Amino acid sequence: MLSEAENLEAPPNIEQTHRLALWEIVSVVTSCLIAEWVVLSFAGASKLITAVPILLALGLMAFSHRERGETPREIGFRIDNFLASGRLLLLPTAAALFVIVATGWFMSHAIFAGHFPARYISLPLWALFQQYALNGFINRRAQLALGKGPKSIALVAAVFALLHLPNPLLATLTFFGGLIWAAAYQRRPNLFVLALSHTVVSMTLALTISPNLLNNLRVGFKYFG
Amino acid sequence: MQTPSTKLVHVLIGKSILETVLVGALAVFTFITILPPYFHGWGEVTSTGISGWVVNNASPWDRVQVQLFIDGRFQATALASEPRPDVSMAGWAKDQWHGYTFPLGSLTVGYHEARVYALHDSGGGARKSLQLVGDPVPLLVAEDGKLVRPASR
Repeated sequence: MLSEAENLEAPPNIEQTHRLALWEIVSVVTSCLIAEWVVLSFAGASKLITAVPILLALGLMAFSHRERGETPREIGFRIDNFLASGRLLLLPTAAALFVIVATGWFMSHAIFAGHFPARYISLPLWALFQQYALNGFINRRAQLALGKGPKSIALVAAVFALLHLPNPLLATLTFFGGLIWAAAYQRRPNLFVLALSHTVVSMTLALTISPNLLNNLRVGFKYFG
Repeated sequence: MQTPSTKLVHVLIGKSILETVLVGALAVFTFITILPPYFHGWGEVTSTGISGWVVNNASPWDRVQVQLFIDGRFQATALASEPRPDVSMAGWAKDQWHGYTFPLGSLTVGYHEARVYALHDSGGGARKSLQLVGDPVPLLVAEDGKLVRPASR
């Protein structure tokens, strides 16, 4: 039998590792839901308060990376596999663009007719941030908890869809987008390529599909306002 | 990948506590902003209608807007700015100008219930809320049209 000191120093078992990784996912998702649903509904006008749960989540992610010894390169901030990752995502992204443009043409006989707001200029950065949180953190923890493959990919997609509720169309689209991006990340982790794909698809969606149908891409409490 | 230390668990617990405090604080702040617990007043049946007084203790010199509902249906709006020297003398208000009167003339014979609400703006007029002033006021319209306070229902 191990002494108390030996017991404390014993490596955590697999189940503990899985639970901890899932807890990290739940914690980050909770922060996002608090920002989307609670802070925006209670203190929507205050950007400072909105930043609190986001900063808490970012703090946790940074601390977790440090604790687990993950480098930016491992997380996906790298260019050495840019082309390989790009090749993986080229076809799915092109297919998504074709479906979006065809749907837009079928519904309104117009392509890229939407208004281009100035805030779209920052879309690549926003996409990179989302892909970092989704794949650079949640996907990596999902792989720790459930292993590489369909289970962890489905979890990432479900989380991405959950964060886009109650917008039904956006939640559906993000679920499928989440599946593709999570699968690509597991094979070739490159967040820049994922952000590029995310940006192109989001912008095409916003400029092609009627804003009424997408409710101006609003999610969380803002969806109703 | 390294195995994380127990510090990560502590950080997760700390983050959860901070978020719980944030959500709780926001809930309390929102409740106090939208439904501030500062309105105080009373309403009663007179021979011609409902009258009473209301004070906003957070802003005791302001006149409060009140709305009358009979049997759950909106009837009228008034500003509580009539003289009620008895209210200020009893120490309920800083000045006497907090009274209101709602004349009632078209109620059917029988029992009714009146409720007077203080109207409150928040969010720069983006939201309006109603808070019951005093208790619901039971009233009886007699055959001759006079209003009386029923002894019991």
